[in-house]
Amino acid sequence: MYENYQFVGKDYPRKEGKARVSGKEKYPSDLSFDHMLYGRILRSPYAHARIKSIDFTEARKMGAVCISYEDAPDQFFNVRLVSIPSATYKDWTIFSDHMRQVGDFYGAVAAETEELAEKAARAVRVEWEVLPSYLTMEDAMAASENLIHEKVYLHDKEVIIRNNIACTREVVEGDIEEGFKQADVIIEETFETPRQYHCQLETKTCVVRPEPEGGITVWPTTQAVHNTRILLGKVFTIPLNKVNVVRVPGGGHFGSGIHTNPVALITTALALKANRTVKISLSREEDMYDHVRYPSKYTLKVGARRDGTLTAGHMKAYIDIGCHHVQALAFLGVMSGFWHSLYRMESMKYEGTAVYTNKVPTCAMQGYGAPQVTFGVESMMDMLAEKLGMDPIALRIQNYVGLGEIFWGQGPTIKSKIFSDGVVELIEKGAERIKYYELKKQEKGSGRYRKGIGFARGFHTSGTGAPMPGEVKDYTTAQVKVNEDGSIDILTALMDQGGGTLDAAAKIVAEEFQVSFDKVGISPADSRSTGYDVCTHATRGVYCGAGAVHEVAKETKKILFDYASRMLDTYPGSLELIYEEDTGETRISVVGNPERTATIAEVADHAMNKDWGTAIFSKSIRKTACPPAYTNYFVEVEVDTHTGHVRILRVVAGSDAGTVINPDLARGQMHGGFYRSAGMVLLENTQHDGSTGELTNKASLLDYKMMGIDEMPDEDNFEVIFASTYEPTGPLGAKGVGEAAFNSAPPAIASAICDAIGVRFTKLPISPEDILEAIGEKKL
Amino acid sequence: MNTISIELNVNGRDWQLSVAPNEMLLNVLRERLHYTGTKYGCGIGECSACTVLMDDTPVLSCQILAVQCVGKKIVTIEGLAEGQESHPMQDAFIEEGAVQCGFCTPAMVLTAAALVKEKPDPENQDIRDALRGNFCRCTGYVKILKAVQSGARKMRELS
Repeated sequence: MYENYQFVGKDYPRKEGKARVSGKEKYPSDLSFDHMLYGRILRSPYAHARIKSIDFTEARKMGAVCISYEDAPDQFFNVRLVSIPSATYKDWTIFSDHMRQVGDFYGAVAAETEELAEKAARAVRVEWEVLPSYLTMEDAMAASENLIHEKVYLHDKEVIIRNNIACTREVVEGDIEEGFKQADVIIEETFETPRQYHCQLETKTCVVRPEPEGGITVWPTTQAVHNTRILLGKVFTIPLNKVNVVRVPGGGHFGSGIHTNPVALITTALALKANRTVKISLSREEDMYDHVRYPSKYTLKVGARRDGTLTAGHMKAYIDIGCHHVQALAFLGVMSGFWHSLYRMESMKYEGTAVYTNKVPTCAMQGYGAPQVTFGVESMMDMLAEKLGMDPIALRIQNYVGLGEIFWGQGPTIKSKIFSDGVVELIEKGAERIKYYELKKQEKGSGRYRKGIGFARGFHTSGTGAPMPGEVKDYTTAQVKVNEDGSIDILTALMDQGGGTLDAAAKIVAEEFQVSFDKVGISPADSRSTGYDVCTHATRGVYCGAGAVHEVAKETKKILFDYASRMLDTYPGSLELIYEEDTGETRISVVGNPERTATIAEVADHAMNKDWGTAIFSKSIRKTACPPAYTNYFVEVEVDTHTGHVRILRVVAGSDAGTVINPDLARGQMHGGFYRSAGMVLLENTQHDGSTGELTNKASLLDYKMMGIDEMPDEDNFEVIFASTYEPTGPLGAKGVGEAAFNSAPPAIASAICDAIGVRFTKLPISPEDILEAIGEKKL
Repeated sequence: MNTISIELNVNGRDWQLSVAPNEMLLNVLRERLHYTGTKYGCGIGECSACTVLMDDTPVLSCQILAVQCVGKKIVTIEGLAEGQESHPMQDAFIEEGAVQCGFCTPAMVLTAAALVKEKPDPENQDIRDALRGNFCRCTGYVKILKAVQSGARKMRELS
């Protein structure tokens, strides 16, 4: 299928490459400005407390600018603006006198140096009233007073919180009682997934400069410059055309920059008070108290007939969301949707409850509900197959939601039809490459090292568009311009988090105009010079973001063809683009009349000199579908029965991304997604001390272990297969990769461990201690 | 606080500086000399994002006092190419797709270049040993391993 493309599907050095290998790329933490102040945030040492009084006398004597809950705007908001207002709970204020976690913030100081700011912060005196803290969901839900939040807002409606329950969500289709009656086999199991820390390498940072005309310029770590602009404008009552949020590359996000990081609000408050540029860069310790993946705990009950059809499913989930809403309502919704879209069920009931605790606020991290749900559902498909005496892969192929069916891309309100489906192709090719059935039959032996093979499948949505508007906003604005030398500029607020989103946009434009990749540039962007882009999240970068750029490029091309038709004295419909590989030039020619021709540069230059104008176009585009980007993993592991250590020996990954725009970067997405998921399965979790509420790892990377280069297979042992699909609604047939790279890996690894030692773990992470304990019980 | 006058050789150039006795090399490089390619990731020597070369050996600049560097040759990512357009290891990281967000990249490239200078034809295990302490949260290390092999080939061809 790629033979029809000149540039798409080929690998070129990525556009940011040179800046990034040479140290010249500027991330928010690298920025500094003249006469800039440094800020430090004042944080609670207690998990739950109220402030009785606060004394800045000593800090002020040092010359520090001080701010607290007493003099900052106190309106309620949600830091995440991806959902529509009527589906958005608001429980945040910039500062509060009510501290809800260790590390919660009640004020900030700014001074000429970071050292002086730190000294001033330490000199602030606070009188505390310590409250009972709730560090488990059970304790939190048993409480009737000293609640973590007493009242919050759903849009503008006041909501009284009871028993620390932040929100609930129920989704029902069909009649599960009848469904379970129809079942020959019913199984039920409880699954748990951990509080994984994003550990993006750059800690959350913001620089804010007040401008002479009353506005601000902001350089934040964010995945969403426009939502940051809208929130800052609203909270600080600044007209939106005076809030300029600059797109700066971030040192990793993984979901932690979908919401406006609190540091951006705090830095703005300080900068406005000081009327000086202020920078705050969190320490790693502060960053670990700032954000974490949603954990999950849910009971899943599934009924099936003897022939393998699923008659009913019931999922009851409790989510410990920590001390704030970063739109937990949306999270509960996507859990139901991702579950619903994995396998056809004749009836289903989902009950989700989000519970406040005095812990780090939870937010999106790669997969957003899909890894949590896929771990349980895929583990259960293995268990069901075993019970039915069926091949687990055959059971999946029989039941998966595929071509022509309805996919819930983002909970029950974002649904669209499936137009491309590479599931079976990927399973068959992957099984063959890794020799799945041969390995499955292999004797595990009784030695110290036991090998096992595992398989699981899943997907992520490509964006949150759908034929009908739902609870989630999704569109991108882009501008495409042809310069007078034939080069092209793309202007959009779309973010690239390292995966190659903007390279993909450039390559798609190169293909549309048949101009070489190096002639397409990505313009620097900020919120004042661009239209709204919701955010790079939900694996929407290529499908929705670059998809919007593609639609705009087609319009720009129409204008260019109009100029060319006038210049060549013909009709726009009779023109074609021809890329000349030897000269690197692109010509616009009259079909069948090759002598009637001009280069793009000549046409653009002629149009300018004739005062016809520039070939330029700008528009907001919403995708009206959200195709599933299917993935699957075959994983071979080796378990050391003496130490409990699990080694990843070999991985064969499958990705149904439609047309693969950047093959090498897409492979890199699969590698990275697998690496972070293996971390979640084998190592990563953050726990809070049950009495102090502090992180038990003391927010130190020394005690937050992640896999390193020594634990990952090399490329010979990590194969990535792409499906040969074409997504008809996508830009040149493309859909997403990003989060799908993560979602199906955890159950595949757990399934391989089960194959090796015969123990099915239902709680992640599976630590060496867990494995040793299980081995001890089984007397292996 | 008292300050000490020192001379630091960074990227082939001598700098006269007045530093506090407890000032880390990382802070001096980033804040005084504006070599921001040297990154802060944890400040406790765990992530290696702050790696620079000291007399050709990778060291963690968040764990070294500026005053300890007197008389040594410090090279940051900005100085690795030694006046050329790029160092072969930098090219290899771009070509092999080993760069995603790029925040860990300077430290990875410096450590890899130092390894290959010492050991021109490294085994995969040598690369794993050298980069064991360097965190990358994006790539899963697969492409990094490949890029270092490719960079080593390029360096051998040039030598």
